[in-house]
Amino acid sequence: MPQPILPPLKPLPIKDRISVVYVERGNLDVIDGAFVVVDVTGVRTQIPIGTVACLMLEPGTRVSHSAVVLAARVGCLLVWIGEAGVRLYAAGQPGGARSDRLLYQAKLALDDTARLKVVRRMYALRFREEPPERRSVEQLRGIEGVRVRKMYDLLARQYKVEWKRRNYDHTEWESGDIPNRCLSSATACIYGICEAAILAAGYAPAVGFIHTGKPQSFVYDIADIFKFETVVPVAFRIAAKKPRDPEREVRLACRDAFRQTKLLDRIVPTIEEVLAAGGIEVPKAHEEAVTMAIPNKEGLGDAGHRG
Amino acid sequence: MLVIVVENVPPRLRGRLGLWLVEVRAGVYVGDVSKRVRAMIWDNIEKGIDEGNAVMAWSTNTESGFDFLTLGANRRIPVEMDGIQLVSFLPPQEEGVAKPPL
Repeated sequence: MPQPILPPLKPLPIKDRISVVYVERGNLDVIDGAFVVVDVTGVRTQIPIGTVACLMLEPGTRVSHSAVVLAARVGCLLVWIGEAGVRLYAAGQPGGARSDRLLYQAKLALDDTARLKVVRRMYALRFREEPPERRSVEQLRGIEGVRVRKMYDLLARQYKVEWKRRNYDHTEWESGDIPNRCLSSATACIYGICEAAILAAGYAPAVGFIHTGKPQSFVYDIADIFKFETVVPVAFRIAAKKPRDPEREVRLACRDAFRQTKLLDRIVPTIEEVLAAGGIEVPKAHEEAVTMAIPNKEGLGDAGHRG
Repeated sequence: MLVIVVENVPPRLRGRLGLWLVEVRAGVYVGDVSKRVRAMIWDNIEKGIDEGNAVMAWSTNTESGFDFLTLGANRRIPVEMDGIQLVSFLPPQEEGVAKPPL
């Protein structure tokens, strides 16, 4: 009697998943092939990571080798976060699984004309109107900065929150005012999802078009498109309630916002749309390239998933 | 909405189902997945079922509002009555369990 063998695991597309799961404390391990959090009293909680886009691990979690292997197999991004959800480190399906996509992204970013087209499309999607003609990327950034400050002021007035300015200082977390803390938590939430989506689509998080020079420049670019319809209003709404535990309340409200805006359905197509605006074809393999000895298997997941 | 109930299946299949669905009671899994993912999950059940049995029910656009599939031997067998899927419960048998019709 041969042992029945289960089929190999395949990542699911981002659009078929729930956004984020936060794990506060416990050991993450694999029991009978399921991904399980075991707390100190021995309580076991299975996490269906095959249908989660990214798993946020808070201080107090430990992860076993087999748990990381399983997360990679099902294409779930693990993000280690510090206090209040500020990202420390991420591991998942490492980016760059698709050389054609990476070369395409780099080609767009290196070509000034194409890059401007991509940036213009990003702004058009974000502000729901075409940006003014004949402006450089720098000029567009200036216009954007003014608009963003205006939006913050507007939202602060709308929700009757006292607002001075955006303050990113992560080094002094507790010193930040409540609206800023809510905003940082909320943006951390959407960055995790955007990073998972960028990796799943086969692109590099570091190669940005508006933001540059950071390991997650492209993540910030993509998150900015969705930020003002999802997490920013949430942050101000929660801040207005003067909550006892702002970070937790923000998370719950962000999840609702992601669901209502169908963020996970839209995120990968939007990445493709802004890049397509550059007007360059996805490069073909060069003539003398060695063809694949082992053809890639067809998977259920997105293009960048290692199925 | 998708509901799966498995009985007498190897632990590895139960763990595998826990990767996509939530086990709300022993062997009872609930989730909400696309048609393609549902087919993939059923494929896992078919390959890993061993001696056990399973049923998978999901919401769909039928008059009942759902549809279901079964696999493996069980005293409850699906019957179709003029387009409506119902279940017949077989009497207990002395020598083993009734085989479901193919």
